[in-house]
Amino acid sequence: MKLLKYALFRLLQAIPVLIGISIITFLLANLGPGDPVSLMLQGQEHDEELVRAIEQRYGLDKPLHERYVTYMAGLLQGDFGQSIYYQRPVSDLMMDRIGPTLLLVLSAYAFALVTAIPLGVVAANRRNEPTDHLSRIVALVGVSTPSFWIGIVLILIFAVKLGWLPSSGLVYPWRPPDAYRGIDGHLELFQQTIRHLLLPMIALGTLQMATIMRVERTQMIESLQGEYVKLARAYGVPERTILRKHAFQVAQLPIITIVGLNLSTALGGAVLTETVFNINGMGLLFVNAIQRNDYQLVMGVTIVLGTLFVIGVIITDISYAYVDPRVTYGESE
Amino acid sequence: MAVGESQVDSGTDAAGEDEEVEARVGWRYTVARIRKDTTARWGLYVVAFVLFVAIYAAVDSNLSRLTFGQFSDYTFAKLLPIFDHPTRIPPPGEGTQHMPPYFPLAEQPWNPLPAGGTLEHPLGTDPSGRDYFTRIVYGTQVSVFVGIVSTTIGLAGGTIVGAVAGYYGGRVDDALMRLVETVYAIPPLILIIVFTVFVGGANIWYAVLGVGIAFVPVFARIIRSRVLSIREMDYIEAARASGVKDRDVILRHVVPNSFAPVLVYATLQIGVTILIVAGLSFLGYGAQPPTPDWGQMLNTAHGYMHSNVWLSIWPGLAIMITIMGFNLFGDGLQDALDPRIED
Repeated sequence: MKLLKYALFRLLQAIPVLIGISIITFLLANLGPGDPVSLMLQGQEHDEELVRAIEQRYGLDKPLHERYVTYMAGLLQGDFGQSIYYQRPVSDLMMDRIGPTLLLVLSAYAFALVTAIPLGVVAANRRNEPTDHLSRIVALVGVSTPSFWIGIVLILIFAVKLGWLPSSGLVYPWRPPDAYRGIDGHLELFQQTIRHLLLPMIALGTLQMATIMRVERTQMIESLQGEYVKLARAYGVPERTILRKHAFQVAQLPIITIVGLNLSTALGGAVLTETVFNINGMGLLFVNAIQRNDYQLVMGVTIVLGTLFVIGVIITDISYAYVDPRVTYGESE
Repeated sequence: MAVGESQVDSGTDAAGEDEEVEARVGWRYTVARIRKDTTARWGLYVVAFVLFVAIYAAVDSNLSRLTFGQFSDYTFAKLLPIFDHPTRIPPPGEGTQHMPPYFPLAEQPWNPLPAGGTLEHPLGTDPSGRDYFTRIVYGTQVSVFVGIVSTTIGLAGGTIVGAVAGYYGGRVDDALMRLVETVYAIPPLILIIVFTVFVGGANIWYAVLGVGIAFVPVFARIIRSRVLSIREMDYIEAARASGVKDRDVILRHVVPNSFAPVLVYATLQIGVTILIVAGLSFLGYGAQPPTPDWGQMLNTAHGYMHSNVWLSIWPGLAIMITIMGFNLFGDGLQDALDPRIED
């Protein structure tokens, strides 16, 4: 019950931030010197009448605050306006594209967690041994290398040179297998999805892996020096059990927070990864929208990605509170 | 201040410990520690090397022409008046006369690019026939410059916001922190691109400013939490009681005393900034051609992945080494500046 209250409290707290995101995005997209109409008409001949007609159609003739209120009213009903380039509702476009991005980001996290946690634990347990040094080198390279370049190098090795894996596109597991030519059966669909996902997942996940591993290592070292570990040792609990149960569990708590906060870099990284691997997700949609000066679409994507981050942080906060009994639920308690 | 923290574990022999702590946070002591710390030392070497390359390419074009063979006239000097140097921009024609013939894309024979490994073009040339090594060397300028300047903007903005929020507290704090949270919630790369394109049009200066603004929240949060603890110190109380103006209290007492840990963070942040800017340039919203820039070079190289693999390798390695230098140095600095860590 307490947890539910806390969840509600966090959700309420997020409302001003969400409104803030919409204001900042709206101002950036509308206050800039490039006004949408002339961008739309780039290179075309036009007269006053046409300009006025377009302004009227998109409501650009009204003052800024009125336009914002209209936009917000639409947003609350799930209406992000009309994409100027695609001539389709922005929300429809985003519905098509959000799946691949979520798939990419979640699998990148899965990759990061599955590799980083064991490596971090082993590194902490064997401090200053070769394994530890190796893990530190991996972490350093991981935080210092741009995700898109990792993607490029992976493509060069595994797609261009060895020809083992595809270099672009994604096969969506939620589509029926007969939507793709040459794929029959759900098993092969699944296999193809994995094959296409492998390289972008590693490219996007490496930075996450490096940061998580660093934190995991430090936390494990600290946790292994904790009083409860000493007590467990004094009681003669086997070292393996201490490592697995006592030290390990406590060390995982900060990881939850890191995962939430890193979502911001992961979503930004998705823009680059999707560009390199030509995946039709939100990131590529954003890049295309920016290139085509489709400001309605840019606003929509920016707001949705910002909201995804806020939701991610709330989810991690709540799961933190759920896992750690010491957390007090906000100042209101 | 760092001294305050270290007193936690003094306990016995308070006076002697204090002196020792004093000695341990001094500038000379820090340098000594950096020299002793392997990580920091290597980081410093790499950063020094990168800075040297950047300045070398900026200042001494004649010497570099002798050393590296020909230089094209694609210099950062056109963009940055402060780097302008009388000998920098070659007279018309001179800069291009040594260049290999230029193949328009359509007529390019298969694999027209020299493979590199020659004295004239150690890393070969780019698709327009410009020496790749020279462009990598020049690219250092943009990365280092953008990294340092936008981190400084973020640091300055964050210091002001964080100090004001932490010092005044109450509503000011609430309002500023909500704003900070909001900016923080939009993924930096997205925010920077939207800012650059809609406010300025793709241009390196707006990119620098955008990156700086995007990182204000990070610094504001750290400064604020430092200020919150310093605000309660006796000397702040004393300053206020003796009628020092708020602005002076913040600038003279609060900010300087909360700065050391932030500076370490800023060093690490330079790495993050260079990483972001590389991505920005890769998408075409950083430095504009013909200014050589690593991210933008990777973008061009993307089209030659099948024929000229190395075009995609060198700029990435350069980015990686530069960022690694700043990260190593930042990590080392963190250890060196932390007076609690014993040798």
